[in-house]
Amino acid sequence: MDKRENHVSIELQESASAEPVPELLKLITSSEVVDFDSIMPESETSVSSNGHQRKFSISISMPSSPTGATSAGTKNVLDVEYNGKGFNDSSSVKASKPKPKGVQFLSQPMPKGSVFGEAAPNIKKLKDKRFNSFKTWSGKLERQLTNLRGRQQSESESEEESTQNSGREVLPVDRYFDALEGPELETLRASEEIVLPDDKTWPFLLRYPISSFGICLGVSSQAVMWKTLATATSTKFLHISLTVNLILWWISITLVAVVSSIYLTKVVLYFEAVRSEYYHPIRINFFFAPWIALLFLALGVPPSVATTLPVALWYVLMTPFLFLELKIYGQWMSGGQRRLSKVANPTNHLSVVGNFVGALLGASMGLKEGPIFFFAVGLAHYTVLFVTLYQRLPTNETLPKDLHPVFFLFVAAPSVASMAWANIQGSFDYGSRIAYFIALFLYFSLAVRVNFFRGFKFSLAWWAYTFPMTGAAIATMRYSSAVTNVLTQTLSVILSVVATLTVTALLVTTIVHAFVLRDLFPNDIAIAISDRKPKPQNKWFNLLRHGSSDHDIETFLKFTNSESKDIEVALKIPTAEATRV
Amino acid sequence: MAAVVTSHAELQLVVDTPAVDSGGVAVDRIQCSSCLISTILTKLHAGYFRVSLSLGGQALLWKTLRGPTDDTHTLRQTLHLFHPTAFTVLWCFSFFALVLLSVLYLLRCLLHFKMVKEEFFHHVGVNYLFAPSISWLLLLQSAPFFTPENHYSYVVLWWVFSVLPIVVLDVKIYGQWFTKGKKFLSAVANPTSQLSVIGNLVGAQAAANMGWKESAIGFFSLGMVHYLVLFVTLYQRLSGTDRLPSMLRPVFFLFFAAPSMASLAWQSIAGSFDTTSKLLFFLSLFLFMSLVCRPTLFKRSMRRFSVAWWAYSFPLSMLALASMEYAEEVKGDIPHLIMLLLLAFSVLVSICLVVFTLLNSKIQLLSVCFDPISSFVSRAKCFTAHQNEQPSQTV
Repeated sequence: MDKRENHVSIELQESASAEPVPELLKLITSSEVVDFDSIMPESETSVSSNGHQRKFSISISMPSSPTGATSAGTKNVLDVEYNGKGFNDSSSVKASKPKPKGVQFLSQPMPKGSVFGEAAPNIKKLKDKRFNSFKTWSGKLERQLTNLRGRQQSESESEEESTQNSGREVLPVDRYFDALEGPELETLRASEEIVLPDDKTWPFLLRYPISSFGICLGVSSQAVMWKTLATATSTKFLHISLTVNLILWWISITLVAVVSSIYLTKVVLYFEAVRSEYYHPIRINFFFAPWIALLFLALGVPPSVATTLPVALWYVLMTPFLFLELKIYGQWMSGGQRRLSKVANPTNHLSVVGNFVGALLGASMGLKEGPIFFFAVGLAHYTVLFVTLYQRLPTNETLPKDLHPVFFLFVAAPSVASMAWANIQGSFDYGSRIAYFIALFLYFSLAVRVNFFRGFKFSLAWWAYTFPMTGAAIATMRYSSAVTNVLTQTLSVILSVVATLTVTALLVTTIVHAFVLRDLFPNDIAIAISDRKPKPQNKWFNLLRHGSSDHDIETFLKFTNSESKDIEVALKIPTAEATRV
Repeated sequence: MAAVVTSHAELQLVVDTPAVDSGGVAVDRIQCSSCLISTILTKLHAGYFRVSLSLGGQALLWKTLRGPTDDTHTLRQTLHLFHPTAFTVLWCFSFFALVLLSVLYLLRCLLHFKMVKEEFFHHVGVNYLFAPSISWLLLLQSAPFFTPENHYSYVVLWWVFSVLPIVVLDVKIYGQWFTKGKKFLSAVANPTSQLSVIGNLVGAQAAANMGWKESAIGFFSLGMVHYLVLFVTLYQRLSGTDRLPSMLRPVFFLFFAAPSMASLAWQSIAGSFDTTSKLLFFLSLFLFMSLVCRPTLFKRSMRRFSVAWWAYSFPLSMLALASMEYAEEVKGDIPHLIMLLLLAFSVLVSICLVVFTLLNSKIQLLSVCFDPISSFVSRAKCFTAHQNEQPSQTV
């Protein structure tokens, strides 16, 4: 009720306002809108209290003219609330304090969330309330609070909140496919919207995807490669010392520790966001990545640190892996919305290759039955996945039309399988050779198409795609140890060099993105998709609004220009909010 | 009050009323029993062979358990102590059940050939046409008095039960998979299609036990090639779960029956439980664990007893058998523990199924159809029969 009255009063005020009426279409940045939103109704302030009771109730019954006093009052509320609760994203507390300017009623084509109040992205409490739905249990607390205050809010607002809070329920996999596109399902489609504000940097933990474990994969596989280079009989002529392996191994240990601890913090603090990633059809495969990285660490342990590892370590590493794959493969088998014909994508290789890495480690430790178990499971499911991906079923929406570095994952499974089988059988026999040649063929067929791997946005997940190249290099070294001649030795050297160069290039790019461009962790849109499609009036409004904005939409789709992104997002949210009236 | 049969086609069920006219009742009872058999014949479908399949699997399991073994582990030796008579009783029971079912099904083929044809065209029913052959082969292998050394009769029986029906069905069904317009694999694939693969593998095992290596390898390769294709197709689940009614969810257990059977067949061919057999056994073990971790998948089918419940038993018996062979090969405590668990589980399930069936058999014979895949015709007939269950007037 308050909101509606406000809305009415605002409209009246707009016509009677002594302020110069701005143009109809105006590029409104968030900072301008701050003041407008700072007079938002009192129910907003109370609800965003993040589980606490309302500390201040300010009755802003009919702010006919926005006064500085009102805004100051709300600002006090904001301050007190902030100090009282200690939000997690402390950085943004300092970033956006609402400026106590004279509040203006800006005549906007779509009142930017004024009626509802929640759309203003950089009112801190608003943002926090939105992020709360991603925090652990905050969704529940929010819901309780909504129920407590439910009667005193307008229906639209409570509906708004309930949709926001319930938006963090498990999304069916179709939503992910509808809302996202791209080879890694990272890009938001133009018609979709997200539940979190996009023009503001989200808290760091929310931006930290599971695909960061790809770095661990890439570096730890490099450690294994350099160990093999130093110890394999066919490459002894290179006289590579084991110190490279030692250094790389210590770097990977550090990386694994750092990345795991950050992600564990995210699990504890932002559990809903982690759940969102778990139900993402591509990101789920990266949940296997930590275990594979640990297995690589065990494989690449320098001889100076430990010559033999305890067998119990293998069981400890493989048990969680077993549980995870029981869940994922069972989903494939029992049909339903996450069946394989629907969700198959090259990243699924990550879930299969772990079996072979585990078998390789177990066999190198001297175990017999356990490695065979995982090899059998991996082989069966790899066959299924391989056939499905090669088929490129029309029901499959996740395969990128162009080539993308993710395709290199095809090489991973056969190369590791060949090494695992060699360790199980004791020698590089026919089975291993068959698998190795398959891997080699796939590698070359991708390498000659390297021209097509262009024009893709860099992401941290690319690190995960380097480990197949390293794996192929290691397999080649094993093969050349069995079949030693100049050709195989040259091949192993070349592949190792290529792998090292790729990793170096990737390292440079990562550093550039991290420190120069500062966009190593962009807003993780993929986890913040809404739970239902936006109403089609959005599109109509969009078209109506900016007739010549098809160009904008196209640039947005190619995500080259972040500013144009802002335009889209800034003007998209008001339309969405307005249509929800 | 005596019941009156108004026409031969209708079934009048005798309500338990004090008989006044005993002579009339006797006549009616005979007529009613023939109508009863007629109902049974219409209701019976190849899916009922699940019973004989399970019993045969159990018989084979117990025979292997009792039989001579190199396994020196204490667990296995204790299991040796089971009385041989118990096994013979079990075998005779399964033999009797199979004979009964086969006779009834033959009658059905003769009298209601149209219904058998309908079954053949159904995407689930067609696979159960392998079930009689498989059951007979299992019984043949587990026969207490039959050994492969009684060469001639064993060979004849093997040919009669294995080569003829299975090969003919293979050619028809597998050919349809990749040639026929409406019945290709992506349209008809469902978990029961693995029965065709199991049929080939059981034939291969029987052949290998006879010493006929080449036929064994032939059947094995036939089964495995189609298993590969089927495995991939089923995992892809192109059309989702809507091909299989939820009452038939127990047939998901066939997912791990096929690799266990393949592991046993390869063991018979190769002579020992080598790496290939181990790979297949582990795959089957993993699929078993994966299904057991998903009890909600079977919840809907467990609400009411149906003959589909018998689909649980055969795969478990085969898995237990494979684990027995595995434990024999890889001597150790854990394999034997796994073997014991699987053995206990399969025996428990079989006993429960027998008990449930006996409890429900009376109801099954007399009233509404329980079967999930009965044809519409028989359902209509049963419904009519149910409606006629009224105290009728004396003429």
